[in-house]
Amino acid sequence: MSAAKENPAIEVRQLHKRLGPQHVLRGLDLQIRRGETCVVLGRSGCGKSVLLKHLIGLMRPTEGRVFIDGEDITDLPERTLLQVRRKVGMLFQSAALFDSMTVEQNLAFPLKEQGLRDPKELKDRITEALDMVGLLGSETKMPDKLSGGMRKRVGLARTIVGRPHCILYDEPTTGLDPITTDAINHLIRRLQKRLDVTSVVVTHDMKTAFHCADSVVFLHEGQVYFQGTIDELRASTDPTITDFIEGRSGESD
Amino acid sequence: MFTKLGHLAVSFATYLGELALLVRDTVMAVVVGRIRWRLVLNHIAEMGFRSQLVVTATGASTGAVFAAQTYFQFHKLGMDSAVGPVVSLSMFRELGPVLTGLMVAGRVGAAIAAELGTMKVTEQIDALRALGVQPVDYLVVPRAMALIVSMPLLVVECVGLSLVAGWFVGTQVLGIQEAFFLENMRRYTDTFDIAWTLSKGLVFGFIIVFMSCYEGLNAREGAVGVGRAPTEAVVRCSLSILVSNFFLSFGLNILFPTV
Repeated sequence: MSAAKENPAIEVRQLHKRLGPQHVLRGLDLQIRRGETCVVLGRSGCGKSVLLKHLIGLMRPTEGRVFIDGEDITDLPERTLLQVRRKVGMLFQSAALFDSMTVEQNLAFPLKEQGLRDPKELKDRITEALDMVGLLGSETKMPDKLSGGMRKRVGLARTIVGRPHCILYDEPTTGLDPITTDAINHLIRRLQKRLDVTSVVVTHDMKTAFHCADSVVFLHEGQVYFQGTIDELRASTDPTITDFIEGRSGESD
Repeated sequence: MFTKLGHLAVSFATYLGELALLVRDTVMAVVVGRIRWRLVLNHIAEMGFRSQLVVTATGASTGAVFAAQTYFQFHKLGMDSAVGPVVSLSMFRELGPVLTGLMVAGRVGAAIAAELGTMKVTEQIDALRALGVQPVDYLVVPRAMALIVSMPLLVVECVGLSLVAGWFVGTQVLGIQEAFFLENMRRYTDTFDIAWTLSKGLVFGFIIVFMSCYEGLNAREGAVGVGRAPTEAVVRCSLSILVSNFFLSFGLNILFPTV
């Protein structure tokens, strides 16, 4: 256990990914410490989501290695990966709720798949998770009856109900109104404090970065362009970074 | 021209290979994975039980018109009592399984491809994997088991109803003597013909479920992609059923020789 403690929660070494003719990730190195919230910033299409999918084994690297809790998951067969994935939860950009199931069934699904059968314990775990995201009372609703923000929160509840050690957020606030965005940002922070999980938040929303980040990674052209604290990012004078923070495209009318 | 043909051959081989991998993964999942019996039952209800109407209606309609047309021709030759065996043998050996296959491909194959395709593009299949569940275990295995159980039964229903309809039209409407009709039907139809129809049903069930699941799991992004999946599934299943039926007929004739 002590050896595991010393390992970073997530480590990526020289990750390359080609998707057809595109070379999306080009030798990316990254280490994320246990219990910290790392925000991954970058422009659309720079490979943020692709990186995230590698951390849970949904995509395989073209080259390079990925370690979770010190375990090399790069070449693990799919069935062995399933065990690793239970330690890592992922909130999808679209929330990816199962639309044929109610909110409660969505939350019960991962628990039942892990072998939990006791109805009382199931109920308690679901209530606890829904309570954390502030959606108690929505158990019987179908996903298509929920607003975008609520769907994200149910997705988050489904992610945390299995008590992962690490949560990956794929653009948690994209497409939400500013107030819901703020609520989700607080939720990410609160969950991190209460559950003591390692979090990776992929976003291009600076507010989310300022609110949630212990550390920031800025991706540019498939590589880590900057890694440091949020204050270091703010203090940066690099034009690529300052343009991104201030939202300047360099085009004029 | 030759390059085009070459590309076509390569993509066909790739398709067959990927299909074979899906079948392998499914068999592996049955061996090492957990079988979700409740889902299997749900799918039997959805795909088998609910397909009965369309399948029996097809059978009945075909049996009725087939008996009538055969009678119109045979009556001129004074062979009225041969209508029974002609209807029975064609339905058992060819039309029953093929028509059931085509109807089920249209109803069930399209539904499978559309459902899995939608799940694919809305990231629900990635979500399954992220939650530690193999999509093949959860989505393909129960459907495959359900359809492989249901298909032979549906074929039997289709053939059964066609015989009832043929009997009704032949003896009650067109006036063929019932005793001869039934006796000849019994004499020329034997256990082999039932084995024949069940085997074809099984094979067609196999074709429908795997080809449709494949189309769904490989659906492309967007409305066009999801729309194309069921269309492709129905077209490919139907063509495969028609082509494989030809070879099955020859193969089964060696296994269960009748001539």
